Amino acid sequence: MAPLTIPLGHFLSVAAILFTLGVLGIFLNRKNVIVILMSVELMLLAVNLNLVAFSAHLGDMVGQVFAMFVLTVAAAEAAIGLAILVVYFRNRGTVAVEDISLMKG
Amino acid sequence: MLIQFIVFYVFAAVVVGSAFMVIAARNPVHSVLFLILSFFNAAGLFVLAGAEFLAMTLVIVYVGAVAVLFLFVVMMLDINFVRLRQGFMQYLPLGAMLGAILLVELLLVVGAFVVSPEVDTLAAPMPPVEQQSNTHALGQLLYTRYMYLFQASGMILLVAMIGAIVLTFRVRTGVRRQSIRAQVARTRADAVELKKVVSGAGISGSL
Amino acid sequence: MIEFPDISPAITELWLAIAAMALLLIGVVRGDRATRMVVWLSVGVLAVAIWLVWSDADTSVVTFSGLFVADRFAAFAKVLVLLGSALALVLSLEFLERERLERPEFPVLVVLATLGMMIMIAANDLLSLYVGLELQSLSLYVLAAFNRDSEKSTESGLKYFVLGALASGILLYGATLVYGFTGSTSFTGIAGALAAQEERSIGVLFGLAFVTAGLAFKVAAVPFHMWTPDVYEGAPTPVTAFFSLAPKVAALALFMRVMLGPFGGIADDWVGIIGLLAATSMVLGAFAAIGQTNIKRLMAYSSIGHVGYALMGLAAHSPGGVRGTLVYLTIYLAMNLGAWGVILSMRRTDGKLVENVEDLAGMARTRPFLAAAMAIFMFSLAGVPPLAGFFGKFYVFFAAVDAGLYLLAVIGVLATVVGSYYYLRIVKVMYFDEPAPAFLQPAGATIAVIAVTAIFTLLFFLFPAPFVAEAHLASLALFP
Repeated sequence: MAPLTIPLGHFLSVAAILFTLGVLGIFLNRKNVIVILMSVELMLLAVNLNLVAFSAHLGDMVGQVFAMFVLTVAAAEAAIGLAILVVYFRNRGTVAVEDISLMKG
Repeated sequence: MLIQFIVFYVFAAVVVGSAFMVIAARNPVHSVLFLILSFFNAAGLFVLAGAEFLAMTLVIVYVGAVAVLFLFVVMMLDINFVRLRQGFMQYLPLGAMLGAILLVELLLVVGAFVVSPEVDTLAAPMPPVEQQSNTHALGQLLYTRYMYLFQASGMILLVAMIGAIVLTFRVRTGVRRQSIRAQVARTRADAVELKKVVSGAGISGSL
Repeated sequence: MIEFPDISPAITELWLAIAAMALLLIGVVRGDRATRMVVWLSVGVLAVAIWLVWSDADTSVVTFSGLFVADRFAAFAKVLVLLGSALALVLSLEFLERERLERPEFPVLVVLATLGMMIMIAANDLLSLYVGLELQSLSLYVLAAFNRDSEKSTESGLKYFVLGALASGILLYGATLVYGFTGSTSFTGIAGALAAQEERSIGVLFGLAFVTAGLAFKVAAVPFHMWTPDVYEGAPTPVTAFFSLAPKVAALALFMRVMLGPFGGIADDWVGIIGLLAATSMVLGAFAAIGQTNIKRLMAYSSIGHVGYALMGLAAHSPGGVRGTLVYLTIYLAMNLGAWGVILSMRRTDGKLVENVEDLAGMARTRPFLAAAMAIFMFSLAGVPPLAGFFGKFYVFFAAVDAGLYLLAVIGVLATVVGSYYYLRIVKVMYFDEPAPAFLQPAGATIAVIAVTAIFTLLFFLFPAPFVAEAHLASLALFP
């Protein structure tokens, strides 16, 4: 494994910015649910970046194994999310976030 | 040393910039393309941190499967489908541009591989398990110590498969489907008919 | 080389995984006609799993290189989860047949979700925690959207998915910080690293906060509860019943293990947060439920309140507190199962399921047995002595006072008083309002579940000792 010549903080900063963007994407998005699903993927990417950086910094493989599982689960999650989105669209004919409000109270 | 920093900052800047564009773009197709760009660059960062196998997996799984799935759903669901088709050419420049960036970056990654061995020699001695290739080390852990979770993540993928099928699969009437049973059960007798053709009589009369 | 691990402690998980695949095969080969058979087979599979857990309950082993732990705490929580899943399946059969949702994937997904919960409960590592949690959550997302032709069901699935994925992401980000700043993902490793550190790094505290937020979402504690009412209302009713039973127990068990295991040494840093979660959940659960007309929404707010009481035992961070929470969960499971059984019986003679509180009007005259059972569950949920619900509250209040959390206990008592208003309103509607059209006779299995849980709730005060003793032994497993 290559040593981490870039300081750990740099990696973590990038991951933190990515994570923030992902969360922002979920909360600020009003137009399209698909973009929300993409924001979730961005969050998981940030998590993976964190894991890989820590793994290199600590010289420990566990972080990469963890990232491997996160990748697997993220792929499954994307499949399920898109499947739910497709059935939702079939029923409602729209993916706009403002319209997801059948139930309130 | 310096080149690693430059490469890191290029990757990091593009990751962050395109991640911003994912959530800022008005058109979901643009969002997916920026997502792909973001993942590609994140893979570059993974390589910088020494996780080659994960970097390749990220490209294969995300760019190859997940992003394509997203693109597929965006295309399938977009309400402005007509406008999308009309304006296909308008995405071409953007797609081409992104493709060009990816190409340049791939070249940069290859360049970094050539340069990096000098840095490797400076590394502090690492435990034996880490002197193997990254893939080997990862596999050795995944299939032994993490066997339990490896199996469990298999169940997760099974759930994803069942879920996607049970939610979206519909039996539609009037669609001609392949009947494997009928194909396999077909015998020579059903398929081939031998006709004795009388010489000089031609074939049409005997059919 | 690494030795092949001892797989015998994980026999329940193996059984569920193999059985789920076998059931799936039966479902695929036999088609939708096999739904009834697959449901009953799944109930049988879960019953065998209970037997497997219980026959080997008195252990304390860690296997799979420290990823998996089997102890009395896990055994207790697993039995509760398996019971909840099995009985929720029994309740769901009639609904599936009447609403034309007969698809064998339904019980298979329930079994797979239960498998995820088993992995969560037995987690001894952040990785097993994550994988178990996701196996459970992904199955639940699909179940919420299972009625794919219903706008409400798919919307609730979508909402649950988006917010659930957000919570998983937050939890995961916290887990990476904990890993990075302690150098370990194993619960024992984290606890050791935290004990060795002179002062806590800000990274660990951040990680802890993120993990807590993610778990609080999964148990639906205020302020991470916003998904609950919508998802509960929109999901098919048996799925809602399932949501409020097994996943809640599993997530709370996981919550307790994470907080008291790896972070047990730094309890001072999280007791305040958990106490706040408990207090706000109890108060919101009591007040927000008052104005609800839909009984599924009402039960959603009720479950938020009950999570608050259960978390009170965790805030006490003592064996007594864990014992209280475990007893509370046992009783909660029984009364909620019964209440959902009654809600699933609210089917008019034209075959339509109704779900408003007003639809229960005058049920005491049309269906006296159901009304009596519902009254027992409502009194018990409100915490009226000598019903079971009172004892659940008694043990957590006792633990909270014992730990010096007087303010929390007072808030809990006040929330109970406010909360009893809406439970008793249901009793009033059933007994004193003009009768609405009668309901159909529920299926025999539903009646059996209602009867058993009603008797348990009614007579718990005669024999609390075995449950409390078992919960006590289980709680000691978390405090070595």
